[in-house]
Amino acid sequence: MNLYEFEGKQLFERYGIAVPRGCVVRRGYDVAHEYQELGIKNVVVKSQVLSGKRGKNNGIKFCSSADDVARVAAELFNSPVRGQYVAAVRIEEKLEIAKELYLSITYDTSTKQPVLVYSVRGGMDIEEVSESEIQKYMLDVRQEKISLNIPYAEELWRCFLQEDARLVEINPLVQAADGKYVAADAKIAIDEDAGFRHKEWTFEPRTMMGRLPTEREEMVKAIDAGEAYYRGTAGKYIEMDGDIAILFSGGGASIANMDALIKAGLKPANYTEYSGNPTREKVYALAKIVLSKPGLKGLWICGGVANFTNIEETFHGIVDALDEIKPTYPIVVRRAGPYEAEGMELMRSCAERNNLRIKLFGKEESMSDTARVLAEMVKN
Amino acid sequence: MSILIDHNTKVLIQGMTGKEGAKAAKAMLEYGTKVLCGVTPGKGGQEVEGKPIFNSLKEANAQFPDITTSAIYVPPFAAKAAVLEAIENNIPTINVIVERIPIRDTAYFLATAREKNIRVIGPSSLGYIAPGIGRIGVVGGPLVQEIFQPGSIGVISRSGGMTNELSWQICKAGMGQSAAVHVGGDLLMGTTYGDLLKLFQEDAQTKAVVIFGEHGGWYEFEVVEMIKNKQFTKPLAVYVGGKFAHLFPEGMTVGHAGAIVERGQSAEEKDRALADAGVMVAARYEDLVTLIQPFA
Repeated sequence: MNLYEFEGKQLFERYGIAVPRGCVVRRGYDVAHEYQELGIKNVVVKSQVLSGKRGKNNGIKFCSSADDVARVAAELFNSPVRGQYVAAVRIEEKLEIAKELYLSITYDTSTKQPVLVYSVRGGMDIEEVSESEIQKYMLDVRQEKISLNIPYAEELWRCFLQEDARLVEINPLVQAADGKYVAADAKIAIDEDAGFRHKEWTFEPRTMMGRLPTEREEMVKAIDAGEAYYRGTAGKYIEMDGDIAILFSGGGASIANMDALIKAGLKPANYTEYSGNPTREKVYALAKIVLSKPGLKGLWICGGVANFTNIEETFHGIVDALDEIKPTYPIVVRRAGPYEAEGMELMRSCAERNNLRIKLFGKEESMSDTARVLAEMVKN
Repeated sequence: MSILIDHNTKVLIQGMTGKEGAKAAKAMLEYGTKVLCGVTPGKGGQEVEGKPIFNSLKEANAQFPDITTSAIYVPPFAAKAAVLEAIENNIPTINVIVERIPIRDTAYFLATAREKNIRVIGPSSLGYIAPGIGRIGVVGGPLVQEIFQPGSIGVISRSGGMTNELSWQICKAGMGQSAAVHVGGDLLMGTTYGDLLKLFQEDAQTKAVVIFGEHGGWYEFEVVEMIKNKQFTKPLAVYVGGKFAHLFPEGMTVGHAGAIVERGQSAEEKDRALADAGVMVAARYEDLVTLIQPFA
């Protein structure tokens, strides 16, 4: 999960990395007042988004009066950055810059270990800096100290490890006119799989979809929360613009099937996948939310030949939701694996008692072919 | 002959007393895999499927010194310690079934395993199978006899479900598999496509290989390098899922943990690089079978 700049800077401060003095304002705040409280004349006003190149996309402005700051902040709140929703605006002191550097630590998939990247050419996209001006240091996640003569390398390393980050990046790392180093920006992605050892992780809701998380997305996320977390995954739901409801199984099949769905000329209403061995209750909760989206024209329940997911148990959850909602649009089911006969029988009797327009397929029919079947049914 | 598993493979299951561990023990034994024992701290003296449970790897090793493979079924927070224990006890092959292990823990045990030349498959791997010989994990589930047949195709997949699905398509077309390996969907893979291609290259039974890949990550580009360097010379067909991922912003994870929307790592970019290297690229996953059929 990506953090906002202001959240990243809070973490940096905890590890001894200096950040510019500043404050965070939200929609509805008295921005002029906050600026005056801050008591700095020349400031930078920055959109808080989850990704995106803010500098090049009008997400960063310079101001030097209360009126200015208030006007600019209002503008920024109404200007998504490359489709990313602006959750807040940070107002901070404008630094007197002598030098701009680049520093990051992330995982390298070829060494399967962290790599520290440092460049004296900061302030721009690291992809645009020539290889000769980039220094890479292969690290070992087991080492405590890294002992490099690079400003904040040690602090950033501690932050990377202790915060279970997948990425920590300071770009630019500014050397101010007085010689001191300051992190002018902060980009951190945390590893949600390490949540069990970070009870302090209580971040505000967010999505990278360029809007606030929808009510359905928040509700689905709650399905896997707490005790139920490891009893299979049923908490993946991304709301999309189309009208075909999706209940996929398995991470791999789900992406192959999204490709197939779009190839068949259909538009997904959501991306959803449940996997592992979720309980009937979890799948019921998921299915109910997926089917609650208005304007649906079809439902595709699809997965490969399961290894260990119990088809009867998971289909029971879907059937519970179908019994309640009784959709009138066409439904196509394709699934195989443990207890497939029992699962299909549940679907069949559910279709009968609710008069559903449903077609059921096992492993004889390929997944992509059943997308075309649904497309035909939706057309007619 | 086959890769990773043969008639001498002897298996220990860490976490065999748990629900999934016990199921896996049964699945492996039913398929003829030699499961010798299990380890669960504090449960020493119990039995699962008639096999003894020990409190530690050390105790298990004392009685069964010839264990070749450990399959790990423990909760994510206990995974690092379990894998390190297997490494300390010199188990040559470790299959990490556990999902949602923090990446820092994975990097830790992968570094330690590499120093001791120990092979780790996974994390988030459902296991692997050499049809007719044995399986580690529950690959194939209860339908294993229908969807796997001994044959000449090597199968590598980022997805557990798709390992089965592809293998089934291969059987349906009248072919069979030399081995099928689910490498897992995490960002860090203990055993990569490239590592497996090296094994398949040496394996006389394998005539051709299919890979189910995904958007995100670097691993398909490792394959491109290997082909260019002639380290792998057998026919290879690849499907890379996630063509739709451009509908989502950069940095978002859509699918497995390793399937991150990233510039330079999209399904289309991987397809192009693979095709340029002469790999047969499938537009739909079903096409893998048609592409590979002439070489089986």
